[in-house]
Amino acid sequence: MDSVKDFIVDYIQREYTIPEDTDIMNLNYVEEGYIDSMGLIQFIAVIEDEFNITFTDEDLASEDVKVVGKMVNLVTSKMEDQSK
Amino acid sequence: MRSRLADLFYKNAAETPEKLAIWCDGKTATYKEMADLVSRYSNLLIKLGAEYGDHIAIPMNNSIESVALFFSAADLGICVVPLNPSLPLEAVKSAMNAGDIKHVIARSSFFADCEKNGGLNIPGFAICLDKEYPNTTPFQMINEMSDTRPSADHDVDGSESLILTMTSGSTGTPKPIDISQDNKYDRSMAHVRVYKITKEDSILAATPLYHSLAERLVILPLIIGATSILLPRFTPAIWLKCVEEQKPTFTIAVSAQLAQILELLKKPDAPQITSFRSIVSSSALLEASVKYELIDLLQCEFHEMYGASEVSTVTDICFQETKDKQKSVGKPFDEAQIRILRDESESDFDTDCAPGEIGEIAVKTKLQCKGYYKQEAMMRTAMIGEYFRTGDLGYVDEDGYLYFAGRKKELIITGAINVYPNDIDVIIGRLPEIEECAAFAYPDDKLGEIVALAIVPKEDQEINLRAIKTYCARNLADFQQPHKIFVVDKLPKNTMGKLQRMAILDYIRESGLDQ
Repeated sequence: MDSVKDFIVDYIQREYTIPEDTDIMNLNYVEEGYIDSMGLIQFIAVIEDEFNITFTDEDLASEDVKVVGKMVNLVTSKMEDQSK
Repeated sequence: MRSRLADLFYKNAAETPEKLAIWCDGKTATYKEMADLVSRYSNLLIKLGAEYGDHIAIPMNNSIESVALFFSAADLGICVVPLNPSLPLEAVKSAMNAGDIKHVIARSSFFADCEKNGGLNIPGFAICLDKEYPNTTPFQMINEMSDTRPSADHDVDGSESLILTMTSGSTGTPKPIDISQDNKYDRSMAHVRVYKITKEDSILAATPLYHSLAERLVILPLIIGATSILLPRFTPAIWLKCVEEQKPTFTIAVSAQLAQILELLKKPDAPQITSFRSIVSSSALLEASVKYELIDLLQCEFHEMYGASEVSTVTDICFQETKDKQKSVGKPFDEAQIRILRDESESDFDTDCAPGEIGEIAVKTKLQCKGYYKQEAMMRTAMIGEYFRTGDLGYVDEDGYLYFAGRKKELIITGAINVYPNDIDVIIGRLPEIEECAAFAYPDDKLGEIVALAIVPKEDQEINLRAIKTYCARNLADFQQPHKIFVVDKLPKNTMGKLQRMAILDYIRESGLDQ
């Protein structure tokens, strides 16, 4: 869980450091401009590669993938499903 | 002789030390603080071994430090090569080769990416901006530097390259647009005159600093003693919040942004924006309805301009002053002259079109860049006499007003970013299941155009769209990502077998594939 979160938060900060007082888990990184809609496609591919998971089209259509905490949960649950 | 840009900035700092020089993302610097930062940055670069004429690459974000770097570089006669931070490493490497890069300033993620992919071969130093990273100097070291402007150990006469703007993507030869210090000064002064900018103005830059538009919008205020408002990242909401709080009076925006901002401004709970005295829309023609609604909501002078990075702004029009020329992009700046060239395939090559007749727009201007760095041949091809061929189509009316009529060059412009479709074709064409492919422009309400891709599979090959998207994500920059992918049986070509890129969309629509 922590490594997933660290990886995601690190990636989001490729261009800009997130201010310290930000509620990171509830941060919508697309709305806040840390990654734009074009960069999101890349981000998804990077996560799939890193954690060896696959997002479904439904996952990608949901707003949840744009929120740090929800993305962390989604990735973690996919990793757990795979290890079962 | 010292850099005129740096001298003007330091003079403003001496005259109005307490005035706000720059705001970015909640952080501010007065002229005194900014001058101290610029001096410390210069001293850091000198300490690490930077010399007159060196080229420094930086995957650049919008920050006060990035702006300070431009002025340090000007003062030392150094050239900055700003890169789009989303570029894949292959493109970064080709840009660095094309730009003769000696030193690099970047965030840790950049250095980590480089390390994973065979390392970064540069002869000079590396500075890491956000944390400590092996074999790099932490940017924090700037705090130990003196805030006294370093003495000049080399004349800076203004002809030095200040910025190389990289215009091409991952595989084609990058075209580094070489902008000298004098270019930057002349361009700034032309805009000051045309838009009547004074030191009382707060000037908003809302595009990435690795583009010439934002570079102009941050350098200009600091050399005339005005205030620079730099948006860290663009979303319509961030723009609106910034404008509401910082109250800028002037901006040059790209039209794709304005269309998105209008959507927000029309919402019932939208704030009233009254600070602007003048807004200029650039990069693509703004739809008339968007324009009128914006004028109505923002209650300010509204201009449109036409230009290109190579030649800066060429024409301008103010709508309140020329109500009968609503579809024009205006008349040339005093510095510029335009010709409309007849199609070269006709026998009378390089003759001028009659008023109203569409041809290629060519520009002769005192604001033209130095050239394409070390690509003299490419620049020569782009010139006809003293005129730069823009690759855009247009016509001039009997009163001398220019009208934009499309593009001759095969170029996709998505949210004001130029995408060269051939760069995408080459990368996607490497996939074994693909016979041929072509990227093309697909119309989009928000971004003007988006990148679309038509692919022809090899016989008996299954195409997995998801796998292709993932491949794109890994191998193309974010602005190059195809938003739509169409699988077709063939690509439209002329009788000579040359791809007719402009005809792909029609072909897809005729085939009923564009659902």
